[in-house]
Amino acid sequence: MGIKKNNDINLSVNLSVNLGKVSLINPLITASGTCGYVDELDDFLDINQLGAFITKSITIKPRLGNDVPRIVETDSGMLNAIGLANIGVEKFIQEKVPMMERYKTPFFVNIAGQTIDEYLAVADKLSQCRRIAGLELNISCPNVKQGGITFGTDPALVRQITTEVKKVVRDKILVVKLTPSVTDISAIARAAVECGADALSLVNTFTAMVIDIETQKPVLANRTGGLSGPAIKPIAVYLVNKVYNEVAKPAGVPIIGGGGIRTASDAIEFIIAGATAVTIGTGGFINPDCAVKIIQGIKDYLRRQNITAVAELIGSLK
Amino acid sequence: MTDSPPKKGVFNATVLMNRSLGDKFCRLTLELEKKANIPFSHASAGQFIEIDISKLALPAEKLIPQHLSDSAQRDIILRRPFSFADIDCNNDTTVVEILYCVLGPATLRMKTLKIGDSVNFIGPLGNGFKIPENRKLALLVAGGMGAPPLIHLAKVLKKQCPDTELIAFVGAKALAGLAFFDIETSKLKKETDIALGEFSRLNIKTFISTDDGSAGVKGFVSESFKNWLTKNKPDDKDTIVYACGPEAMLSATAAISSQFKLPCQVSLERRMACGTGLCQSCAVKCRDKANGNTIYKLCCKDGPVFWSDEVVWE
Repeated sequence: MGIKKNNDINLSVNLSVNLGKVSLINPLITASGTCGYVDELDDFLDINQLGAFITKSITIKPRLGNDVPRIVETDSGMLNAIGLANIGVEKFIQEKVPMMERYKTPFFVNIAGQTIDEYLAVADKLSQCRRIAGLELNISCPNVKQGGITFGTDPALVRQITTEVKKVVRDKILVVKLTPSVTDISAIARAAVECGADALSLVNTFTAMVIDIETQKPVLANRTGGLSGPAIKPIAVYLVNKVYNEVAKPAGVPIIGGGGIRTASDAIEFIIAGATAVTIGTGGFINPDCAVKIIQGIKDYLRRQNITAVAELIGSLK
Repeated sequence: MTDSPPKKGVFNATVLMNRSLGDKFCRLTLELEKKANIPFSHASAGQFIEIDISKLALPAEKLIPQHLSDSAQRDIILRRPFSFADIDCNNDTTVVEILYCVLGPATLRMKTLKIGDSVNFIGPLGNGFKIPENRKLALLVAGGMGAPPLIHLAKVLKKQCPDTELIAFVGAKALAGLAFFDIETSKLKKETDIALGEFSRLNIKTFISTDDGSAGVKGFVSESFKNWLTKNKPDDKDTIVYACGPEAMLSATAAISSQFKLPCQVSLERRMACGTGLCQSCAVKCRDKANGNTIYKLCCKDGPVFWSDEVVWE
């Protein structure tokens, strides 16, 4: 770590990190499904200030999504069951991918499907788009009846889907997004890494339920939903650290960590735990410009700690 | 990156007034910070803001109504959407009025806002009521807590379309449910015969109905609307209907408007997290006019005001 005088406000700090061969100007990334396709945040922040952008999930055909209610607030969190509503890969490539040209930010596209063939078809089409830096494989969505989380809870299926998708992604980075709703997340992470994942993303939401006691029915039309927000942060930090120690560090594979990040100190915890980059999801619903404030907060922290590069902080947990 | 100035943003406001109106209703008056002036000078009736409630305190325990004592203990993290009852842009100052009803832990916290307190909000959000040209008659149909955006719309219409005649139909469960309005009673008349100040001051003829008959005519507002249409048969090319209220009342109003071939705009309500189209929570089932397919639009971004014939009423 850099040795400079204490609390040097002029200390130049390097926020850049690398996800495989993709270089990020800082570790802040939008979490899939919380920041739209491309330009939806424009009124609130300059997307060029973000380290990277991960789009909402894209599927082979357009999906309407679930009936309402699709969300319910909980103490320090919320449940969502959107059901992967999206415009489908054709329209996404026609209408949204060209918009990416307006920005310098690397774009990752989250992909989902009901069968391995669907994942492959979407991955193949998107891998032909020059502007896309990588794909995030969503094998962890708790809110669809087929596919999604069923792939992400079985190591054998994770091996199969990662191996197959890796063959079609060409030069793109392949990120595998993990569900926390498993007994041993490291077993899933190991399966993904051994089959070619260039980075791991964790955690997706926790499967959960809220009951309306007046009607004795679940509040969400989908009955269950995914819990996100500050309520899950300590569990997510723990899981990132576990996967970092047991899988990612030995394999030299970066982690995109997230779950309940709202402030710079939240983000820093994830980085210390082992995350190379961090995602903002629910926090952005509350404060759409929070990513920009977090970037500044990380800079201030590094200066206070006399650390010259955020990369030095990754996995620095004592 | 857009070259035009932002149409919406995260802003602060100062509380000018937060006054109770009857048991459950309150009027919150906010002066917006200067940089919100430009976006709000272009805001329309029916748009809304998302207020950050998470840092507001609860009222003292003895002031918490019994029926909210359980839910009052819930933490709030998500913002809450509110439409405007008025936006007043004068010189350099923008003042907005919000009428709210204390229904749960969030609005209970809002009651503790005091003069001078700071409020953080996102806005203006969504699409408001569209005002087509050359309409001689505008019919406003308000049910219960749906009144605020129509109060705002009435003021805007009076200013922008002075030649358009306005008629209001206002319904509530009971007299107490009309507390959003400045109620004027005349001692010479019977108790149910009241006027609503916001509309009477603008010379808007108003038909009141309550479910229990405690004010105006006994019955649903949609019935009173239908009776008037049956009697007066307004020309469909000259008339427009604007409605806001509970979904069942909007559904009835939409069906009646369609029966009389009148174009109708409705302001809908949904559970929402972000208010900006990101979370996709506030889906509204609509019909794709091009091919008849069912699609979901978003209440926050595509609405909250929709043409009633595009919504799939269930």
